[in-house]
Formats: sequence, C-alpha cells, structure tokens
Amino acid sequence: MQALWGERRRIGLWRRLWLALMQAQRDLGLAIPDAALTQLRAHLDDADLEKTAEYERRLRHDVMAHIHHFSDQAPAARPFIHLGATSAYVTDNADLVLMREAMQLLLGRIGALLVAMGKVARRYRALPCVAYTHFQPAQLTTVGKRMTLWMQDFALDAEELLNRITTLQFRGVKGTTGTQASFLELFDGDHAKVVELDSRVSRAMGFDHALAITGQTYTRKLDAQVLAVLSGIAQSAAKFATDLRLLQHEGELLEPFESEQVGSSAMPYKRNPMRAERITSLARFVIELEGNAWHTAAAQWLERTLDDSANRRLVLPEAFLATDAILVLAINVAAGLEVREETITQHVTAAMPFLATERLLMRGVKAGGDRQQLHEVIRTHTLQGVDQLLDHLARAPEFKRLGVRATAAELDPAAYVGRAPQQVDEFLDRVLPDLMRSIQAAAPAAAAAEVQV
Amino acid sequence: MTGVLVQSKLPLPLVRRGKVREVYAVDDATLLLVASDRVSAFDVVMREAVPHKGAVLTQLSAFWFARLRSVMPHHLLTADVEQIVSRVPALAPHRDELDGRAMLTRRATPMPFECVVRGYISGSAWAEYQRSGTLAGEPLPQGLVESVQLDPPIFSPATKAEQGHDENVTFDHVVNALGRLTAERLRGASLALYEAGRDFAAKRGIIIADTKFEFGTTAQGELIVIDEILTPDSSRFWPADRYQPGRSQPSFDKQPLRDYLADLKKQGKWNGEAPPPPLPPEVVTATSERYRDAYRRIIGTDLE
Repeated sequence: MQALWGERRRIGLWRRLWLALMQAQRDLGLAIPDAALTQLRAHLDDADLEKTAEYERRLRHDVMAHIHHFSDQAPAARPFIHLGATSAYVTDNADLVLMREAMQLLLGRIGALLVAMGKVARRYRALPCVAYTHFQPAQLTTVGKRMTLWMQDFALDAEELLNRITTLQFRGVKGTTGTQASFLELFDGDHAKVVELDSRVSRAMGFDHALAITGQTYTRKLDAQVLAVLSGIAQSAAKFATDLRLLQHEGELLEPFESEQVGSSAMPYKRNPMRAERITSLARFVIELEGNAWHTAAAQWLERTLDDSANRRLVLPEAFLATDAILVLAINVAAGLEVREETITQHVTAAMPFLATERLLMRGVKAGGDRQQLHEVIRTHTLQGVDQLLDHLARAPEFKRLGVRATAAELDPAAYVGRAPQQVDEFLDRVLPDLMRSIQAAAPAAAAAEVQV
Repeated sequence: MTGVLVQSKLPLPLVRRGKVREVYAVDDATLLLVASDRVSAFDVVMREAVPHKGAVLTQLSAFWFARLRSVMPHHLLTADVEQIVSRVPALAPHRDELDGRAMLTRRATPMPFECVVRGYISGSAWAEYQRSGTLAGEPLPQGLVESVQLDPPIFSPATKAEQGHDENVTFDHVVNALGRLTAERLRGASLALYEAGRDFAAKRGIIIADTKFEFGTTAQGELIVIDEILTPDSSRFWPADRYQPGRSQPSFDKQPLRDYLADLKKQGKWNGEAPPPPLPPEVVTATSERYRDAYRRIIGTDLE
C-alpha cells in the first residue's frame, strides 16, 4: 500500500497517461511522429525526481515540472506532450487508478480477515458464552456466533468495496472546465473522434467507462463515497477491537501475545490488548478523515477550485494507509486469537442460575402461579446473590406450592444458545462463499501483511 | 477389560462388518459400534490381534467427540459399557468383551464421501502431486517435498469405494453431488475439526498429518460427524520428534508392524497379499504399546 501511494508510482502513472493520450491522438489522425511515442515508452519509469523538484522550484507547478523533465528525456515528444489536456487529466485520472487499486488491495485484506475469523467461528460455533447487553450478563450465545457478528460487518464493507471497485468511472479526457473544447478544436469539430479519444484512453488505462460529465475535475463526490467505505471498514474494525478489549478484560478472548512481548514497562505481569487498542486508535483517525471528503465535495466552486488539492493529497493516501494498517492488525489478531474455553465456561456456569429463573417463571405460571408474584419472588432472591439461588427458589413457598423447581436440563447451557450454532453455519456456508468468490474475482490475492504489528 | 477381540458376535442384527469394526443395529435410531483388535497393514488384515487397539480407537474417538462438540455435533451417545448395558440389557453377558471398545451412537444416513483433510502431503496425495502437481484436482505450489506441511490444510474428498481403494475427487464433484451448501458445510467442518485436532495433538508430540472424517444426517436432518474421529486408524499419526520433510515419515502406531512386513517382503518371504504371514509376539506387543502411547499422549492418562 505504501508503494502504491509513493511518488514514483504516481509519476509512472502520469507518464502512462501522457503516453496513452498521445497514442490515441495519433491513432485518431493527429500528425505525431513515431519517435515521440517510442521515446515516451522508453522513459515511463525513470523520472529523476530531483530534476523535477528543481523545475518545480522555478515553475511553482508540479505538472508542468514533470512535463518539462519528461520532454528532456523524450525530446521528440516535447511538442505534443499534454496536448489539449489540463493538469487534472493526469492528477485526477492517476488518483482514480490508485484508489481503485488500493480498494482492491483492501478487499483482498478483508477476504483474508474473513477467512481467519471464519476459522474461529467454525471452531467455536457451539461453545456457549455469556452474551452481554449493557455489558451486563444477559443471556447465552456462542463464541462462534459472536465472531459472525463481527464478520458480517466486514462482509457488508466488502460488498460496498466491491460495488465501488466495479462502478468507479474514469475522469477520462475532458479538458479545461470539462467541455472537451480543446480536443474538439484539435479534431476540427469532429465530435465522434473526441468521444472516441475519451473512450480509448480510458480503456488503455484499464477503465471500461469514463464519467459522461465532469467539470475540470471529476466530481469530488467520488472521493466522499470511497472515503465512506474506508470509514465503514474502520467502524467495523473499531467495534471488533473494542469488543475484544472488553473480552480480554474478562479473560475470555485474548489477542496474540508473543513469547518475548513486554506488556508494560512498569508492570511486567501485564498483558495489554495493545493491537486492539491500536486498531481503535487508527480507526478513529480514518473515521474522522471521512469528514474531509464530505467538505471537499461540498465546497467545490462551479467548474473547479484548487482548495481541494492540498487536502486530498493528505487525506486520500493517509486514509488508505491507515485502513490497510487496521486490516493487517485485524488479520493478525484474528489469526492468533486465543480462546480461553475454561474461563468462558466458568462465566457461563456462574450465570446459569440467573438464566434458569426465566424458564422457572414460565413453568411456574403454567403450573397455575401468578406471573407478577413469582417475578417478585425471583427478583428479591436474586438480589441476594447467586449462591444456591435455585435451591432457595425451590424452597420459596410460592414455588414450592406449585411443585416447580429447576431441572438438570434447565441448567444445560447448550439449551440456552437458541439457533446460534445454526446461524453460524448459515452465515459460513450460505452467505460467505458467494462473497468470497466475488472477492477472489475482484481482488488480487492479499499480499502478505508487511506492516509490523 | 479382558483379552483381545478378533471379531465380535453379539445378539443384535449386524449392519456391517468393516476391516476392524462391527456395526450392529440396536433400534431404528441407535447403533452399536464395536472396534475389534484386528489390525491391517499394506491393506491386508493380519491374523493376530493387537491387544488394546479397539479400546484405544474407541476411547480416543470418545475423547475427541466430547472435545470437539462445539465444532460439530456427533453421533456418540455413550462409550461407557455400564451405560450401554443398561440401555441394551441383552448385551449384559458380553459386558467384558465390550468394555472400552463399544460405542452406542445415534443412527445417521452416511454421506457418500470420505471427507479427507490433508495437513501434510503424503500417501496418495503425494503420488497425485508427483504425477500432476495437484491435490484433489487443485494446483499446488511447485517444488513441494514429500511430507511437507500444507498451510492451510486441504480438503480432499474421496468416494467410498465398495471394493478396493477410495477414489479422490474434486470439491466441485462434491458440490455437484450434494449441492453447494452441504459441500461447503462438509469442507468447513472437516477443516475446523482437523485443525482443532492437529493443534491439540501437536502440543503432545504427535503430528496428525491427515485424517478422514465421515458425516451423516440424522432422521431430523441434522448433519453430524459419525464413525471414528482422529484415531491412528483414520489418520496418519507421526512422531513429531522424528519429523523430517523430504522423505516418508515413520508411522506413530504401525511402524513396528510395517517394518517387520517390509523386511519379509524384501526377503521374498511374503508377496504382500493375503494371506498374511504370522506375526512374532514381540511385533504384536510393540504395536500394541504404540497404540497405548498414542492414547497416553493425547488423553494424558494410561488406558485402564
């Protein structure tokens, strides 16, 4: 992801865009010599960034600086480079290429994350654990079911990414203010050739479609839509990581801890959920970045203003880099997740008497008891704690009279998880495989995580 | 537990007699599986029985069923002979011969595929890879050596052949036969069961190189894991301390037996086909000890 957003890659794209434009212009009839194209092709990846910096100091214009340097390397092309184009031709189109590739990379990462989480979900599909509302023990669910809560969020993000990747359109060849006037001039008023030029260049750069309408730039609404997906991923990751931090406090689910890792410089016994904390930290950053894209889209004046530029140069790369780091961390955490079965089961056992009271109440009413009266009996007894709660209730006159007491079956946690294991199966076997196939088709295999975690 | 059992003969309808176990019908919903002490090597069943082998297979399966129940529901009702006899009083006279080796199970309609998971490349998978660079029809990276770990492990289903060897098939073949949903479920469950077992055994010095699961559907339509699971007979167990990629690995359990038979074959004293040669007592004892060692390592106590 870092290489993707690096200077070298961006300039390589600009040069390819200039080549694609010149090639299409020539193919459509402009008198451009072979040597111009040959020389451009020979210098796609050897820009000397110090020389362009020198030009830029003098010219105070980055695109012109690169045009001059490229022309120095390919003198035969000098008269034709950037013909009819405006800076946004290279800057905007390159950004679209980069964003699409970056989204594919993120999609591959989500795929890898879903695989890692899916393993845990499958393995613990039916392991009962305490479900919390208000972070108070509420009912039972299963460890696998809880995994699928997190997975589904990421799956929804993946659907959004897929949609953005497949529908993202090129800015194409539109000229100043987006009217294509300069190109119409070049082709002597031949509208068909201008349309064809736009389409050929877009296809050469890997896009099936170019936007029909642009100002001088592509609408910044596209940035806002893309940032919304990244923010969505950050939200899912933050929820996952926050839950993990709560569960690590409970000793139920722990992020991986290397054998030589130090938990705290002062308190050597500590085992902090530092990766999950880092995820939430980065997620907050990405979520807040999204607002920049809204405001940029909202603040554009008429056909173009330049107040988008400096902001986008920071926001786009940083949002992608941070989201990538979040997903690398999440994959690392999910793949090495430590599930403390014994602790989980202890917590379930401790909660069972409370949970059993609900069934006791139902049976009590069926046996002829008064629901409100029995509810009050249970409430007052539970306030005294869990020890021998069920024995006390069995001896309480209101229940004793009805002959109702907790049975062994009512204390079996498996009877309290509802359809949780089946829901896990349905998600893993019915919902996920289709999505995984789409991900595989749209994203290159997720590169091995290179961020140090 | 007393003595060895070569073949059980119980007052129940016999459903099936396999290489090492008999399956009896208890009622419409219940089966009794009895693991004998028979042993096979090079696809030939030996005449001598290996003491404790049936009990090791049954108790290991019971251990794994309980341990992995949060991964997949299973068919085991009980492997405790007292409970079995109280459920099926007709078996009371056979209490001793069944002790430890019998499982009372829920009855299920078996799926028509062996669900093999390979975490290391060996046996028929190694042969396929050498031949075509694939496993279960899917391409593998080039340059793998024999017995190397496959990460992630690979689901490699096989048909259940009535006679001879099971035939490896592709995942798509299973999809076509059973539908995508069931196929995904079998693959997912198989991989999850294997990985859980592999990780557990690895901590106890045993590499489970590959294994075979069988699944079935109950009358209520529930998919469950049946037969035996993660035993030395349904899996390749390798001693971790002798693991060395680039060659075939010694078997944790059957190596004394295989070494002896291979030696006979080399000397031209056995042609590798039935009838099997007689086994010296020390080979039988050594093999029995290996099975008990597998039990001891995984469960942590001696087989009683």
